Amino acid sequence: MGSLFRSEEVVLVQLFLPTAAAYACVSQLGELGLVEFRDLNASVSAFQRRFVVDVRRCEELEKTFAFLQEEVRQAGLALPLPEGVLPAPLPRDLLRIQEETDRLAQELRDVRGNQQALRAQLHQLQLHSAVLGQGHGPPLAASHTDGPLERRPLLQSPGGPHQDLRVNFVAGAVEPHKAAALERLLWRACRGFLIASFREMQQQLEDPVTGEPATWMTFLISYWGEQIGRKIHKITDCFHCHVFPFVEQEEARRTALQQLQQQSLELQEVLGETERFLSQVLGRVQRLLPPWQVQIRKMKAVYLALNQCSVSTTHKCLIAEAWCATRDLPTLQQALQGSSSEAGVSAVVHRIPCRDMPPTLIRTNRFTASFQGIVDAYGVGRYQEVNPAPYTIITFPFLFAVMFGDVGHGLLMFLFALAMVLAENRPAVKTAQNEIWRTFFGGRYLLLLMGLFSVYTGFIYNECFSCATAVFPSGWSVAAMANQSGWSDAFLAQQPLLSLDPNVTGVFLGPYPFGIDPVWSLAVNHLSFLNSFKMKMSVILGVTHMTFGVVLGVFNHVHFGQWHRLLLETLPELVFLLGLFGYLVFLVAYKWLRVTAAGAASAPSILIHFINMFLFSSSPTNRPLFSGQEVVQPTLVVLALAMVPVLLLGTPLFLCREHRRCHSRRSPQPDKDTARLLDLPDTSLASQGSDEEKAGCPGDQAEAEFVLSEVFMHQAIHTIEFCLGCISNTASYLRLWALSLAHAQLSQVLWAMVLRAGLSLGGEMGVAAVVLVPVFAAFAVMTVAILLVMEGLSAFLHALRLHWVEFQNKFYSGTGYKLSPFTFAVEGE
Amino acid sequence: MLEGAELYFNADHGYLEGLVRGCKAGLLTQRDYSNLVQCETLEDLKIHLQTTDYGNFLANQTNPLTVSIIDTEMRKKLCREFEYFRNHSLEPLSTFFTYMTCSYMIDNVILLMNGALQKKSVKEILVKCHPLGRFTEMEAVNIAETPSDLFNAILVETPLAPFFQDCMSENTLDELNIEILRNKLYKSYIEAFYKFCKNHGDVTAEIMCPILEFEADRRAFIITLNSFGTELSKEDRETLYPTCGKLYPEGLRLLAQAEDFEQMKRVADHYGVYKPLFEAVGDGSGGKTLEDVFYEREVQMNVLAFNRQFHYGVFYAYTKLKEQEMRNVVWIAECISQRHRTKINSYIPIL
Repeated sequence: MGSLFRSEEVVLVQLFLPTAAAYACVSQLGELGLVEFRDLNASVSAFQRRFVVDVRRCEELEKTFAFLQEEVRQAGLALPLPEGVLPAPLPRDLLRIQEETDRLAQELRDVRGNQQALRAQLHQLQLHSAVLGQGHGPPLAASHTDGPLERRPLLQSPGGPHQDLRVNFVAGAVEPHKAAALERLLWRACRGFLIASFREMQQQLEDPVTGEPATWMTFLISYWGEQIGRKIHKITDCFHCHVFPFVEQEEARRTALQQLQQQSLELQEVLGETERFLSQVLGRVQRLLPPWQVQIRKMKAVYLALNQCSVSTTHKCLIAEAWCATRDLPTLQQALQGSSSEAGVSAVVHRIPCRDMPPTLIRTNRFTASFQGIVDAYGVGRYQEVNPAPYTIITFPFLFAVMFGDVGHGLLMFLFALAMVLAENRPAVKTAQNEIWRTFFGGRYLLLLMGLFSVYTGFIYNECFSCATAVFPSGWSVAAMANQSGWSDAFLAQQPLLSLDPNVTGVFLGPYPFGIDPVWSLAVNHLSFLNSFKMKMSVILGVTHMTFGVVLGVFNHVHFGQWHRLLLETLPELVFLLGLFGYLVFLVAYKWLRVTAAGAASAPSILIHFINMFLFSSSPTNRPLFSGQEVVQPTLVVLALAMVPVLLLGTPLFLCREHRRCHSRRSPQPDKDTARLLDLPDTSLASQGSDEEKAGCPGDQAEAEFVLSEVFMHQAIHTIEFCLGCISNTASYLRLWALSLAHAQLSQVLWAMVLRAGLSLGGEMGVAAVVLVPVFAAFAVMTVAILLVMEGLSAFLHALRLHWVEFQNKFYSGTGYKLSPFTFAVEGE
Repeated sequence: MLEGAELYFNADHGYLEGLVRGCKAGLLTQRDYSNLVQCETLEDLKIHLQTTDYGNFLANQTNPLTVSIIDTEMRKKLCREFEYFRNHSLEPLSTFFTYMTCSYMIDNVILLMNGALQKKSVKEILVKCHPLGRFTEMEAVNIAETPSDLFNAILVETPLAPFFQDCMSENTLDELNIEILRNKLYKSYIEAFYKFCKNHGDVTAEIMCPILEFEADRRAFIITLNSFGTELSKEDRETLYPTCGKLYPEGLRLLAQAEDFEQMKRVADHYGVYKPLFEAVGDGSGGKTLEDVFYEREVQMNVLAFNRQFHYGVFYAYTKLKEQEMRNVVWIAECISQRHRTKINSYIPIL
């Protein structure tokens, strides 16, 4: 059987990796992505493992990489994606990479440090020149004209005695947000023995570290007295102000200013040189870093995998346990031999028996992936159980299409999906990051089939944007009816509705070749006709789908060798399902085939028959469908009900007997005891029995865990779920009818209210044409938004539910876990 | 606040409460501690902390690890979280946060003043200041020579200003006076905080008041304990006790008269809450210290604060628990780095 039908055979293998070649082997395995390592050191904490030193070295390197990457990012450059095959580096290469990285990082740090120092210097110079440039003249003289100084008029003329005191100055610059606080603190701390003038700088300066532009405030403080001076200096220190020497003579200041400007020009030149060198270094980083990052990441992954291996007693080799698909075993062997040949000692693989359930591996291609995804979203299949995905490929789009049946909408969806499929290899489409787009893109083949099937069901329903198409001539003839019943012109004018009687010869010529006759779209009883058809169709599809699910269970039972379940579970289930609901399907089909228009007046009602079947009665007004119905119906009900106890008790009793037999074979016990065990399904006894068995054969864990009450409980739940489920699930399939009805009605509303309203405006040619443009736009937008996207999503959801709940609970347990091989491949590619 | 604040609590503070509860879930568990205790070196400790909510907070450290680096980085992390809470908070929660920072601010101010007294450079001391209690004028503290100076010039604009009303004096700042200043500040701070929580009402009051009462009483006990054998007079001592605790007023008066640990213990015996705590204190050689016992009780109260919803206490409790956790990690790290493993288990578990 192909791998899609059930998960592949996966075995536990033990790998003996010679210490010298272990690294190469595991790195080769990572490239291939064949095996999933089991952690053999789960009890050992992370830092006590064997290769923790190497892991730590890789981490150190990654730290340096992070630094380099951050530098590159700060410089506004992007790292290119690495190209080509980059194997995990050999341990000796690691040293080289480490050295080079360190050198590069050191170089970068140096240059960056230089640049920063230069920048800071430049910043300082600029601030200094700004301070000098702004405070022209001693502030006392300027205070009469300067706005900010007028806040303290009292201090401007401190009086005669102080005139001869020497006025000192502190000039500097402070960050803008601190200026106000500084000013207040100065005022409070020095009690007004100073005059401070604050001004904004004219141009913004870049912060030397962050590069953010900011407008600094320059200040000039004049004060009297030494103590105040010390205080002022302390305060300016605490606000991290830049304080510059301030010469009183204007001439001296001017020359200083010129000097500063000269200096800053020189500095800028040097800075430019440094930045050129920096960009060179960054260019080297850009070139070298991406491949290293990939390599080191691989190396770290290899060491982490090696950390999961245990060491053999002789320390000559590492022992790893891994899950591997049987199909891949030769490849694995080859890979190991290839990579360990250098070391002289070959790595060995051998299978070991295992009690744990192996992981599930189902290989998919880009077509089946989305369908497998639908199944896996419910639950990853148990190892080797029947995989519903291949059937889902057809049933899912089909059930979707039953709800979404419309040729036009289906075609639009199909074309959209086709466009995605055709463009799937374009890099722009592949790398798109938009999450919604990725969702649609991931399901493109699903959409393709859904569109295709919608076109098909659309033809069956004969609807294209809610309008019927007349591909073939209609089977009904109005002319024949008019001729036969002699409708006069007056009669035709008076009657708003005319009925066509199929019993009149020539009116009904025969069924339409494919789908619903287009004449129905004109009829007022269109809806009731379609309802009857769609309801019956839903039940038929539902029962078929569920029966198929039960039948799939057979493959599970056969594969796992549980033959008893064939007889004790599948058979009763089938009888129950088919006896009750299969019979309903039969009634529907029978009535469709046997009851003709001629006998329509006295046609039997299936509903009444079906109800009577359960009540074991018959109503005289309801003609039987076929002879012998009175016998068949009660027989079926009795048969179906008789299956319930079989289903309920069959498996547990069988298991119990099996258990007892195996038990007595191992350790013969008095008959009396075992008989009682069977008669009284008592938990304590059962557990006692199992305890004894545990003592008798401790190896057989699975047998020992047999607890009768648990088996009973499980089977009871299963039985109740199945029997009630048959009824509720059948009813659940009626959603097919409901959603398809809703879709048809919505699209009809859109057609009748929007586009037809626009088309029937009439009037002059020009007006209609102009009006039709917005009307069509509205129609198109609403069709896509409401009918395609919204309705599509809702139909998708319901189809999903029908598969997950109604279909899969008949056979699928979904309790497995996926094989996640150790691989270097990046997720999502 | 009106009755039933639950109705609209979430509109203003729901996000932050959710956040802080999430953060609380990230506190180190008992298993983490037992792993940390097994570490051989600080590097191991770092690896272990990486697997917890601390993540790679030490990843950018290029220098060899020391305990103080770990401590600063942890503090920085707490500070980042706290700043985030604070920046997203609305009134009155933001006032609550301000109150929370006040205690750290007081500590920082006192630390700086002590430093100034010992003629240490400001930079040296700034490193030791708790980042949660940072404020702009902080570094200028050392220009003040008297408390009133300090108040008038520097602290008048900070949230600490109201607490200074009681401790304005023209005394020079010597070591004893600074200590007294600290305790007075703390006293008025706790009382103000207590009043704030009490006025806020609701669950916040129900949660925060017992915590602050305990805090006040703990301070009273510790002050008493530290004042044995110093020149602090009993009257002065009594003025330092915060008056919002359970000990007020009888217990405080008795405590003021206490002359040694035994007498203090006798005072505590009158109170059902504190009796078991004092009984748990070991004698001299082994067992727990009074401080540890108080810490344990504090942790307990803070953990319980998370059992109620719609109150601000969770923020306080989270910060305190995190602080305790940091103390624990630092303790373990110290024990590891000094190879003093015998006492490594005497951290205070956060349950």
